Order: sequence, then structure tokens, then C-alpha cells
Amino acid sequence: MRHSFELYHRLLSVQLRSQLQYRFSFLLEMFSTAFVVLLEFASIALVFERFGHIKGWSLGEVAFLYGLVETAFGLMDMVFSGFDPQRFGQSVRRGTFDQLLLRPINITAQVMGSDFALRRLGKIALGIGILAYALALNPITWTLGKILYLPVVVASNILFFGGLFVVGATITFWTVESIEVINILTYGGSFVISYPMHIYQQWMRHFFTYLVPAIFLTYFPALYFLDKPDPLHFPAYAPFLSPAAGLLVWAASMAFWHFGLKHYQSTGT
Amino acid sequence: MNIINVHQLHKQFKVSKHRRGMWGAVRNLVSQDYQLVEAVDHIDFQIGPGELVGYLGPNGAGKSTTIKMLAGLLVPTGGILEVNGRVPWRERQAHVAEIGAVFGQRTTLWWDLPVIESLALLKHIYKIPEARFQHNLAEFTDMLALAPFLNTPVRSLSLGQRMRADICAALLHEPKILFLDEPTIGLDVVAKERIRQFIKQVNQARGVTVILTTHDLQDVEKLCERVMIIDRGRLLFDGQLKSLRDRFGGRREMIVDFTESYPDVAVEGAQLIAHDGVRATYQFERDELTASTLIGRISSRYRIRDLTVRETEIEETIRRIYEKGLLES
Repeated sequence: MRHSFELYHRLLSVQLRSQLQYRFSFLLEMFSTAFVVLLEFASIALVFERFGHIKGWSLGEVAFLYGLVETAFGLMDMVFSGFDPQRFGQSVRRGTFDQLLLRPINITAQVMGSDFALRRLGKIALGIGILAYALALNPITWTLGKILYLPVVVASNILFFGGLFVVGATITFWTVESIEVINILTYGGSFVISYPMHIYQQWMRHFFTYLVPAIFLTYFPALYFLDKPDPLHFPAYAPFLSPAAGLLVWAASMAFWHFGLKHYQSTGT
Repeated sequence: MNIINVHQLHKQFKVSKHRRGMWGAVRNLVSQDYQLVEAVDHIDFQIGPGELVGYLGPNGAGKSTTIKMLAGLLVPTGGILEVNGRVPWRERQAHVAEIGAVFGQRTTLWWDLPVIESLALLKHIYKIPEARFQHNLAEFTDMLALAPFLNTPVRSLSLGQRMRADICAALLHEPKILFLDEPTIGLDVVAKERIRQFIKQVNQARGVTVILTTHDLQDVEKLCERVMIIDRGRLLFDGQLKSLRDRFGGRREMIVDFTESYPDVAVEGAQLIAHDGVRATYQFERDELTASTLIGRISSRYRIRDLTVRETEIEETIRRIYEKGLLES
């Protein structure tokens, strides 16, 4: 375990160093991903300029949610980029995944250490920028509880999205053709929970409550941070289920990952 | 005591039958028809420590499937498989710590790192003690002539350089078994020769058991005493290279130069395959006719100035085994 952890760090430092060798493409990618986030957010802001608010949420409040999700997703994308389904599916097809299996260290640590997308820093920086903008528009009354809970929510989101990445990567053991379907789950999922959940149809909300518990990760915590009433009438502890939901999804994804590994080794695709 | 023990090993793959066309693609989503393919079909073999075995077969014969099972990458469908006294896939980490593998055209090294740093990373991965590492590195650097490109990033190496670096990487942790899958593919003659020399040396001096798959039969002739031949999942031959040649060498050729040009030089028992001026080439079956009988028959009618007997190339022999399924009868 300690050996795996130490090696994970070594593999990461290799990753960072090789990425910095291609400085121009690194900077280009960093700015382009940040620019996409900026455009997306600008389009939301335009809608608010026209309508003022969406179902009782002001621009500042939506920006808080949006910034939170962007920051967490960006951090996750950086840390878990080895599990990025697109990239992972390629390494399975090209046989580079076999090379990892040939080394006497924990396979999960190796996949995690096989990439670290530093270029996501652009996205993360912009996410934090949007959060700051949100706080400027709509100051939060900070309490000690809120200050302590914010990083927990971010960490839970990282685990949650990381779990989705792992699930997506695992699916590529069976099929590489369904990458698009997986992307809907990860990128689509992060898009959906960037908005207040009560604006969606009931079936969709139910999907993200009971099947994929995304609603607990950001929407309910955001209600707590913003001191807003819960229009869905969930119990008062709902905002504090974020870590439980994150851990649950992560644990489920790890179980699926190990199941997938067994399947891979017995099919050899 | 065998280092590799394989008994009735088999591996089945499910191959999905893809339907064609637009409608077929839609139906594929809903249901898939599978076909079971026996990639490795109940094979038996044992390999002792220190052996150097050539594992041959045409593409898709089951070579890589076998190697992948031995390396712990694949779980067999059935049968017994023990390497180093372990079941490879059950104890993957402990197993791979004691083997080395070079898989053809894939590198185990880090693309953007200089070779030496990749090797240093492997030192940590395999927990090689510093002194052992330095000692082995010095030895392999010398034997494989790695020194000129130790500080070059792997992405800038030539294929031959990369292969040498990869072979070094596979041996630094002093594995008991080395799997080499097409180690000389795409290399020039000099590079091939260097790698062959090295494999031989490592096998003899360090006692590393080597299992080599290759398409280059020169590799086999120069390195292996024992060969195993697999085709369509079944082991067709397992034995000494020499006995393979003796049993299945089949036709030999005799090239004869006469003192003068004869119009007709046919003799019974041998087939005349070329006749040009004073030179004639005969082919004859090894088990039907000895070379001396043939010489006797020819020299009783014509005056021979010079002659050579050519053994069938191993390549030819193996091709015959594949084509005719000689051993199946």
C-alpha cells in the first residue's frame, strides 16, 4: 500500500515533467478549456440578463452552483485523468494497459498515475473565478460550519465524478463503441447538476436522486450555503449527505472496476 | 523441477458475430450472437529452468494467448497452469515480479523520459536494491551497447535502440523467466544479431529461462534447441529443433556440376527441378533415398565434377507442417 502510494507520486512527477516538455500545446489546451467554460457561463449570464432569475434563483446563486461544479469537475478531471474513459479505452485497445498489468504494483494506483491533466488548471482557475464572482454578486453569510463544509463538498464531488470516470473506463473493457454514451453520463451529468435541480422535470430529478445521487452533491449543499428554503421538501439533513453520496458512488465504482478487471482478464479483448 | 507446468490448458474466446448494414447495427445493440473460438485448445508442456524455447506458429495460432496466460494477463478457461510454482493470474503482483516480458512493438518505457530515467523508475517499481541495479545496469549497458542513447528520450530512439532498451528494462529485476514476443521484428541484420547474442548470453550466463515467439526462423535456428509449434490452438510439435528437421525435413536438394553438358540427366528416385548447361538440381525425399545412393546412381551414368547437398530450410519445414498438418495424421 505504501509502496503503491510512493510510486503513484513518482509516476505523477514523470507525467508532469513530460507534459511540461510540450509547453506550447500545454498552454494552448489550458486556455482553450478555460475559454469553453467562460463561453458557457457567459451564455447563462445572458439568459439572466433577459429574465432576471430562474425559478427563484438569481444569477449570483446559480453562479455559485456552477462555479462549485466546474471547480470540482476540473479538479477531478486532473486527478482522475488516467481513468478518462476516452483515454483509458484507447490504452486498452492499444495494449498499453497490458503493460501496466505486467508491473508488480497495484493496478488502480498505476492507472491513476498514468496521466495527470495539468492543463485542467485553466478550467479550475475559471471555476474558482466564477465562484468569486458569485460571492461578489450574492454575499454568503459565512458560519464556521459553512467554512468547514465547503471543502468537504468539493472533495465529495471529486469522488462522485471520479467514480463516474471509473465506471466509464470500466465499460470500455466490454465495448469501446459506447464512449459517447459514457460521456453523456460524465460531462452531461456535470452539466445537469450545474443548475438548480428543481427546474427539471420530476422524472429527471428522480433519476439524479435515486439512481445517481447527484442531487445530494451540490444542489442540497448549495441550499445550505445560500440559506435558501428547500422547494422539494427533503429532510433538513439532506444538505449534509454530500460526502455519503460521494463515497457511495466511489465505492460502487471501485467494485465495478474490479469486476471489470476480472472480466478483462478472462476475455482478453 | 519444472519452472513452467501446463496441462490441458485451454482458452475460449467469445467472438461476436457482427451483422452488417444499418439494420444489422441496430440489431447488434439489442442482441449479439456469439461464436466460441478455442484459441488455445488443451495443450500440455513443461519447461525446465534455464531452457531457451522457441514458440512458433502462424498469426492467430494461439501464441500470444498462451504467452498472455503465462504472463498472468489472461485467465485460462480451464486446465492447469503453474509458473514458478504459482498460478499467474491468481497472484498477479507476486508473479509479475519474477518474470520479464517484452511484447513486440510495444514499449514498457516512458515515452517522454530519457532511457536512464525510465530504468530508474523501474528500479523503484520492482524494489531493486541500488547495488544490484547498478551492477545489472552496467552489465546490460555494456552488452547491449546502450551507452550512446541512455540520456535520449524514448520517443527519439530508433526501433533497434528501443528494443534493446526494452530488453534491458525487462531484465533489471533479475526475473527467472523472460518472455520475448517478436524481439527482432523490423530490425536490420546487425541489430538482430546483437539481440540474439544478448539473449543467448543471458540464458547461458544467468540461467534465465527464455520463451521466444518469433516469425524470424533465423532467431530459432541460432538460439533455440527446443521448439514448440502451435497452429489453430493445438500444439503440433514439441521437441528438439534437430529432431524436427530429421522428422519433417522432407525433401533435400542436391546440386550437381557435370564435367560436360548432357542432354538428359534424369535419374530414378529423384526429381530433376533444374537443368542448365552443366549444372543440374535434384530433389529427393530424405526417407526414400540417401544422398550416397543418389550420388551412386548419377555417377554410374554421368561424370560428376562437383556437388553440394542442401538441407531444407527450417522455414520450409515449418511451412510444410502448417500446410499439411503433417502431425495430425
